Amino acid sequence: MNRPSPIVLVIDDEVQIRRFLRAGFELEGFIVREAATGSDGIKASTLNPVDLVIVDLELPDGDGADVVERLRTWSTVPIIVLSVRASEAEKVRLLELGADDYVVKPFGMAELLARARAALRRHVHGAASEPTVRSGRLAVDLATRAVSLDGVPLQLSPKEYRLMQTLAQHAGNVVTHQHLLKAVWGVTHVEDAHYLRILVRKLRRKIESDPTQPRILLTELGVGYRLVGEPASQSRPKL
Amino acid sequence: MQTQMLTQMLDKAALTRSGCLIGLDPAKAMESLRARATPIAVLLAIFAAVTIILRVAGPLLDLDHAAFGYLIPVIIAATRWGIGLAVFSGLAGLAASAYFFYPPIYDLHITKPAHVADLVLFVVVAIVTGQLANQVRSHVQAARRSEEEMKALYFFSRRLAVASGPADIEAAIEHHLSAITGCRIVLYAAGARQARPETSPQWRDTPEPVRQAILAILDHGAADPEAPLFDKDTGASWLIRILAQRTSRVGILAIELGQPTEQDKETIRRHINAAVAEAGATLERINVAHAISEAKVRSEAETLRAALIGSVSHELRTPLASILGSASVLAQAPSIARDARLSSLVDIIHSETGRLNNDIQNLLDASRISGPGVHAHLTWAEPPDVVNAALSRLRQRLMGHQVVLRMAEDLPLMRIDPVLVEQALSQVIDNAAKYSPVGSTITVTAASTGGVVEITVRDEGAGLTTEERARLFERFYRGVRHGSEIKGSGLGLWIARAFVRVSGGELEATSAGAGCGTTITMTLPAPQPGQADSAEADDE
Repeated sequence: MNRPSPIVLVIDDEVQIRRFLRAGFELEGFIVREAATGSDGIKASTLNPVDLVIVDLELPDGDGADVVERLRTWSTVPIIVLSVRASEAEKVRLLELGADDYVVKPFGMAELLARARAALRRHVHGAASEPTVRSGRLAVDLATRAVSLDGVPLQLSPKEYRLMQTLAQHAGNVVTHQHLLKAVWGVTHVEDAHYLRILVRKLRRKIESDPTQPRILLTELGVGYRLVGEPASQSRPKL
Repeated sequence: MQTQMLTQMLDKAALTRSGCLIGLDPAKAMESLRARATPIAVLLAIFAAVTIILRVAGPLLDLDHAAFGYLIPVIIAATRWGIGLAVFSGLAGLAASAYFFYPPIYDLHITKPAHVADLVLFVVVAIVTGQLANQVRSHVQAARRSEEEMKALYFFSRRLAVASGPADIEAAIEHHLSAITGCRIVLYAAGARQARPETSPQWRDTPEPVRQAILAILDHGAADPEAPLFDKDTGASWLIRILAQRTSRVGILAIELGQPTEQDKETIRRHINAAVAEAGATLERINVAHAISEAKVRSEAETLRAALIGSVSHELRTPLASILGSASVLAQAPSIARDARLSSLVDIIHSETGRLNNDIQNLLDASRISGPGVHAHLTWAEPPDVVNAALSRLRQRLMGHQVVLRMAEDLPLMRIDPVLVEQALSQVIDNAAKYSPVGSTITVTAASTGGVVEITVRDEGAGLTTEERARLFERFYRGVRHGSEIKGSGLGLWIARAFVRVSGGELEATSAGAGCGTTITMTLPAPQPGQADSAEADDE
């Protein structure tokens, strides 16, 4: 990359967590800023622009969800939440509040970096309006609405395309069931989870070589779906 | 439950607000008048009937001692309405006999000494039978009353037994006393848990003079005021009574009397004093103090457990997150990645931290299951999604095994909590890996039959003896054969079964015997979604 180093802001009250995150991000060429509380974090992000925010859910001065909510009132910066809670409902709430993704503690650095890159890429994509999203063998051209697998054009139904488009716009990051239901069927069907399951099954038959072993359109149980980010080679690093 | 009791109590209060115990409004006065007039009317009717029958039948049968016919109303009055009306019936019978049957007829005078003897005998027999009948009546009444009391007490003690905290018990006492006295009663349980009355939700509705009296008792040890207190705002009178057992004070009762007259007030006051004294003795008998402290311990233990789970989950997992995260950064550092010995050490840190994290998760899950319970969020899930998630979570764990995956085409959607079922399946597969030799095969299959999806996990490992099979899903059960060589807490399968069951499924184990491998079968509901719904999912 010829771009200047991305700046990541880590908001976490645990000094040990901040230390390994700093080391992990710096090894990958990021510039790291730290904040121990939610209000410090918000202050830091207003003083100097940052490219990415990593925020812990449990902060001494309140819930990390508040930080997400407040940041989202004025900023579109990518946000990734660190959560110890195994509660899927909590994750969904954070994503609905505007977080881009989450990782559950304990997590490996590689997992966080993959999420962070995907979120950053989406942000950059959005700005440069690059029309084609690649995910493994799949390419989705958001401008011409053309979807191809290994260069071979695919015929998608209108609903399948809307689903594909929504996932591609967030490639690499999770998209909640509610978000997808709203995008494809509209607000009246946000409770009808099995419509979505059936549509995903149809789409997987068209894009996956083995629909029971998906490699492109992944399930996040209890939360939503995720289109694996480009380039496919970095999706399974060690740890 | 408590709110329900409260509404019941308030309903009762509303019913009795207009007057406590004794009817004071016109409707109630009419009611009691009717209750008093009915027996007299009935008796007069019986007298008329008896007189007519005797007048008609007497001459035909040549009855001499007609007076004894009037014993019938006497006995009826004594058994049904008590001694007062029995005496009235006796006198009426006497008069009627003299008037209608003994010459001169239609005159109260009696001339024949034999007739006088007859009537004296009638009076004696009337008194004796009346007395006896009245005794029977009061016995029946007493039996009925004590049956009612037993019923109320039984209900009361049942509620004490299931009470989950002092608040439940206080509500039960309130309800019980309200039922006995017929008044709205608020119990401020100052004695039982030192709770300040101000914290009670009903404090706000309690009138000012009553509050002052309660605080005087609590803060200055004043005695309960003998006379009722008057609430200017609503015009209601209130009584304050200390509810006490022999050794300790249970609480302070505020009793709303409604708006009785001065005279009624006195009656009500006496009645309530008796009821409160009786209640104190009752509480002593059923050992309510003990019940309260038991319930208190129970609720404190529950709070402690919840706090402990919360802090364990945070305090243990935060350092784990630092360790695992640091190890993952080390693994990527070029200087370590180049050195095989160092990177294998980092791998150990990583895998052992993962194991510790699983153990902590198991303990937390176990206390969730035995504590407040686990709630399933049922939704539609693809069988392959759940199986893949479990396998990918266990990727490292399964590195030494051959995993064969057989999933039928077109499995129906399952209606489950996918997160809980995935955790359960991970436990089952982890167990299969744990109890089967490295290099052996673990087969995971998913198939569907009649409204269910069956996921089976088959290993080629240690198998199960009959005893092991019977006890496999018990909490903390560990097979004696493996106790020392394979590490584990004995929680895994117990948790797995609990998670599957809250999703409406079942988990079962089969084995051909020791050394012959184990097959665990998970049966999960896969109901048919409505036809209209599937059509809706189709594209236009």
